[in-house]
Amino acid sequence: MERRQFLTMLGAGAAVAGTGALTLPARAENKKYTIALVPGLTTDAFYITMHRGAQAAADALGQDLLFQGASEWNVTLQVPVLEAVIARKPDAILIAPTDKVQLVEPLKKAFDAGIAVFCVDTFIGNGVFQTGAGDADFPLSYIASDNILGGRIAARALAKSIGDKGKVYVSNVKPGVSTTDQREEGFKAEIKENHPNIEVLETQFNDDDANKAAAQVQAVFGRTPDLAGIFGANLFSATGSANGVKQAGQAGKIKIAAFDAPESVVQELKDGTFEIAIAQHPAEIGYFGTVAAFAHLTGNSVPTAIGTGFTVMTKDNIDDPNVKRFLYTG
Amino acid sequence: MTATATSARQESHGLLSMIVELRAWIFLLLLVIFFEVWARSAYGQSFVINAYNLQAIGIFATAPLLLGLGQTFVIISAGIDLSVGFTMGLAAVVSAHAANMASGVLGLDLFTAMLFGLVAGIGVALIPGLVNGLLIAKLRVPPFIGTLGMYGVARGAAYLLAGGMTVPVSNAWYAWIGNGRVLGVPILVIITVIVVLLMHYLLSQTRFGQHTYAFGASRAAAVRSGINVSSLTIKLYVLSAVCAGLAGALYSGRFAAGAAQAGEPLLLDSIAAVVIGGASLFGGSGNIAGTVAGALVIATIQYGLVFINVEPFWQFVAVGVVIIISVLVDQSQRRLLGGRKDE
Repeated sequence: MERRQFLTMLGAGAAVAGTGALTLPARAENKKYTIALVPGLTTDAFYITMHRGAQAAADALGQDLLFQGASEWNVTLQVPVLEAVIARKPDAILIAPTDKVQLVEPLKKAFDAGIAVFCVDTFIGNGVFQTGAGDADFPLSYIASDNILGGRIAARALAKSIGDKGKVYVSNVKPGVSTTDQREEGFKAEIKENHPNIEVLETQFNDDDANKAAAQVQAVFGRTPDLAGIFGANLFSATGSANGVKQAGQAGKIKIAAFDAPESVVQELKDGTFEIAIAQHPAEIGYFGTVAAFAHLTGNSVPTAIGTGFTVMTKDNIDDPNVKRFLYTG
Repeated sequence: MTATATSARQESHGLLSMIVELRAWIFLLLLVIFFEVWARSAYGQSFVINAYNLQAIGIFATAPLLLGLGQTFVIISAGIDLSVGFTMGLAAVVSAHAANMASGVLGLDLFTAMLFGLVAGIGVALIPGLVNGLLIAKLRVPPFIGTLGMYGVARGAAYLLAGGMTVPVSNAWYAWIGNGRVLGVPILVIITVIVVLLMHYLLSQTRFGQHTYAFGASRAAAVRSGINVSSLTIKLYVLSAVCAGLAGALYSGRFAAGAAQAGEPLLLDSIAAVVIGGASLFGGSGNIAGTVAGALVIATIQYGLVFINVEPFWQFVAVGVVIIISVLVDQSQRRLLGGRKDE
């Protein structure tokens, strides 16, 4: 009975919004839950889109959603925000922890206060929860796209567009960020295992500075005239690399696979700046994170991991509404 | 005999101070030689006699240099402007919106829309500049604190206007300004060179420039000699913001999108460029040529290390070491020449 209700809600989505209060005996006591979403940073299209998905689910379920985070990806900024959120005693917290280790203790406080903890996008410990193993397995579920798989998908698509041979490298933000590290790892693993004629050069770190990413492309191309492709592991890595390719007069010759899909990628795919863009589904992460929290709060069990997908965007499919809807928008 | 000894000492001091004066350029020369030798031995090609590399380094240096130019004036006046990074971001977002609106809503042609975007970006930068200046000049807020506050305000405003996203610009003329070339020279570099010449003139040939040095060397003396220090301060921070605004407006053309975080990583590079260029954070010294060399040092070292394929983590170390060496040279100069200044 309970389980069926949960499934109905999943399926019905927005339709439940209007009539929810009437048709759902589970909320007979009219308890309204507060679910807090703490993103890795608030000023990023990815998390803004995640917020939109979470809000859609919260509206559909008639629950309250709090969205509070730090403006930068930084542990020392995220923890005080988290503590303020805990002080407001929400029923559940969905968080994208900015560090695997340093966020364990602060989240333990929430857990000890009886707040249900869920990880979205990034994780604490090893990301495997509810195993009974120890300190960092207390979150109930990890809802995210598999970034290693995302890196592999980028590798396959880039390999295809450069004819499965030549030299490529990864333009990355900085070392130590779990998601971008995993994309690089997946990219390199895929090339190594399945594309023996492609050589992966040294990764270049650009500190999220498009200007630096562009100069790095020019420098690498300067010594490697047969450079065939670049994987931009996040937005600024990709836009910066694309500009470097343009400045080097190699537009269209050196192919770029971009990770993440703000609205600007439409134009960039169309004019050939990017060969491909890999979109994650942040709205899906927010939606299912909220639904999972609600399910738990209403006495239903939830899976310990929920994987969300990717969409590969190219200039040929970007006008398709089924692809276009995965662009990151607020 | 005593006279000869003194003049010999002065002569050696003269040489020493010339070296100190030109240290950023000497440093740049050493760097270029280092990369040249490495590139020739490892790749059999020249590093510096290579139009491609020069263009790339030139473009790389433009953004930190534009920020650094305004910053040079502020630092000479013994102030600092921490808000330039996000003033640049704010300008990038506003100019992207403005260019889109001009062609989309107002129906202007793309060239006019591009001008509209550039002007709007530089224009919006006047606001943080003016507020910084007023806070520091009229309310006597320390520059570090006042501009740190503006760092936050400009940042928030930029993100709000951009909705947390990047703002795409589709304008061929705007893209040409950011990526085009005239006779093989990138337009970004041409614009930056023009601004450098203007700033050099302003600092070295005008009363405004002289007052900036005087103010930085001693506020009390500047006041006693009748300089209107509060008007001067406001002008300095407006100038710094305008340079950042131009950098932001050009960013939107170059990357075909305005981003609030466009200048965030450049703040420290711009200050580093000024300091490597020989300006003292205590005020009173520094010049535009030094800042140009400082920006080129930073761009060359980062570009060169990738070019010769040094492992990425060493690049962080190298840039830090350059900054420390530069400050050490500055300190030892003060110790060696300190006495002479009072003679």
